[in-house]
Amino acid sequence: MADTELEQTQTQGITITRGERRGLHGELLTVNFGPQHPSTHGVLRLVVDLDGETIRRVEPVIGYLHTGIEKQMEALRWQQGVVLTDRHDYLSPPINNLAYALAVEQLMGVEAPPRAQGLRVLMSELTRISSHLIWLGTSGIELGAMGIFMYCLRDREKIMDLNEEISGFRMHTSYIRPGGVMADATPRFLDLLDALIREMPSNIDQYEDLLTRNPIFQERTQGIGMLSREDAIRLGATGPMIRGSGLPWDLRRDRPYCGYDTYDWEVAVETGCDCYARYLVRIKELRESVRILRQALDRLPSGPVNVDDRKMLPPPREELETSMEAIIHHFKLFTEGYSPPPGDVYVAVESGRGENGCYIVSDGTHKPRRVKFRSASFVNLQALEHMAMGSMLADFIAIIGTADTVLGDCDR
Amino acid sequence: MTTPVLPENVLQASGVIAGAEWITVNRENVREVMRALKSQGFESYLFMTCVDHLATPVVEKPPARFELVYQLRDMRAHRELRVRVFVPEDDPTASSLHDIYAPANWDERETWDLFGITFEGHPDLKRILMPDDWVGHPLRRDFPVGGEPVDFSDDHETWQTAPPEA
Repeated sequence: MADTELEQTQTQGITITRGERRGLHGELLTVNFGPQHPSTHGVLRLVVDLDGETIRRVEPVIGYLHTGIEKQMEALRWQQGVVLTDRHDYLSPPINNLAYALAVEQLMGVEAPPRAQGLRVLMSELTRISSHLIWLGTSGIELGAMGIFMYCLRDREKIMDLNEEISGFRMHTSYIRPGGVMADATPRFLDLLDALIREMPSNIDQYEDLLTRNPIFQERTQGIGMLSREDAIRLGATGPMIRGSGLPWDLRRDRPYCGYDTYDWEVAVETGCDCYARYLVRIKELRESVRILRQALDRLPSGPVNVDDRKMLPPPREELETSMEAIIHHFKLFTEGYSPPPGDVYVAVESGRGENGCYIVSDGTHKPRRVKFRSASFVNLQALEHMAMGSMLADFIAIIGTADTVLGDCDR
Repeated sequence: MTTPVLPENVLQASGVIAGAEWITVNRENVREVMRALKSQGFESYLFMTCVDHLATPVVEKPPARFELVYQLRDMRAHRELRVRVFVPEDDPTASSLHDIYAPANWDERETWDLFGITFEGHPDLKRILMPDDWVGHPLRRDFPVGGEPVDFSDDHETWQTAPPEA
C-alpha cells in the first residue's frame, strides 16, 4: 500500500500517519506486534496497520527461527537426516519423521512391514492429539480461559510418557525411520496406550464442557476470522483451516498412506468458516484420532518392524558375532550409508496443522541433493492477512491462535 | 491418465517418476502453462522450490544448473503434477506466478533468498528467512555448510571453504 501522499510522524517507535485514509481520528497507526509476544505462538513478528482498532494491513515477518535444516540435511547421510526432521515442527516430530521416511522409502522402492505401518499410525495419531492439545490449551489462555491449559497439559503429559516409553525421548523421538521404526513397542507401551485410549473420550468431554458452550469463548470466536471455502483453496490453506471452511479434504483419506484407508473414521468438517469452526474441527479430530488409535491398537499385526534389507538397515546384533557378511554390511552402513537411485519424490502426510510434505532429490550418492519441507504453517500463515482484514485488534489474537502456526515449522 | 492440454511448443519433456507425473516446460512460457493448468483443474498449488544441480554426478546431465519445481494438485480428480523449469546459471531469472497462485508469493521470496533466483513481476521480492543484511544465497551448493567464526578457534577457516563434493 503506497503511503507516499500521507504525512508520517514518528514518536517513540510508533509511526503515526495522517492523511487521506480516515479512521477514528483520521490516523493510521503502524504497530509492531511481536516477535516476543506471548500470543504469537513462538517468534512471529507482525507489522499491523491500525485504523482506530480496526486492522487495515498485516505483514507477517518470519525467519526468526530459521535454522537451515534443509541446508544441513544436504551434509548428512540419508539415515542421519531423520533427527533433523524432528526439529522443524517441534510439536509433531513423528509426523515429520513419517513424511521423510515415506519419501526415502519411495525412492528406494521399499515398503515398511505391516507391524511398522501399524506403529506408525499409532505414533502419528498420538502426535496429532498432543499437538492439538497444545493448541487448545494455549489458544484457550489467549482468550482468557485459564483452566483449559491445565487439562490439556495433563493429558499431553501422558503422551510424552508414551513417547519416552517407546523411543527413549519425550519430544524429539526420531522413532519413525526409513525402512520401518526404531524399535518394537514394549508391552508397557501398549498397556499405557490402552489406558489412555479408554480415558480420552471423557477427557475430551471435559475440554468441551469448558469451552464449547462457554458464552465468552463463543463471543470471542464466532464470526471471527472468516475464511471462505474459495479463499481457503485460493490461498493454499490446508488442514483444520480448510476443513473449518467446509472442504472435507484430508490426506489420510484422499491420498492414503500407512493403510489409513483401512480404518473406520470420518473426516472432521465444519462449515462455519470462522475461528469457532476451526476449534470444532480440532475437537472432532481429537475424537477421530482416538477412534483410529483404538482400531490400530486392536489389530496391530505381529511380525518384524523393519524391512529385511541389509543394504538399508543394520543387521541384528546377534548376527554380528557369527557372520562376516553382517559385519561388512554394518561397517558400510555406518561409514558410507546407502544411496537411493537418482530421482525426486514428493510425499505429503496430514499433520495437526495441515499438509506436511517432503520433497527430496537424490543424485545417486549417499547424501541428498535437496530436501525441501512443504510446511503447512508457512502456507497457512499467508492466509492470515486475509482473515484479519477489517477485524478488531483483540480478535486478531483469536485469529492467530486458530491458524495454529508453529514457527519452527514455518522457518525451518 | 490424460495429459493436460498445454499451449503449443512449450513442452520440453514429460514422464513419470515413482508414480508421479511430471512435465518440463520452457522458462519463457511458464505463466501461460500455469494458467492453462489452473483452468484444467489444477487449482491447488502445493509448493515451489529450486534444486541446484551444480557438479551433479548424475549421468544424464540436467540442461541447466537450477531447476524450479512446482507441485500442483487437482483436488477433484485426486491427481498431482510436477512442473519443471530449468534456469541457467548466467541468467537466474524466472517469471513470478503470485497473481496466478497466491501461495507462490512467499515461495518465490524464499527461493530468491536461498538460491538467488529473481522472479520478474514479484511485488515485494525481499529476504524472508535469512536476515535482511545477509550476503549470499545459502542453499546454493557452492555456499559452504560451515559455521560462524568462533573466537579462539583455529579451524573456522576450514569450515568456511566449500566441501569438495559441493
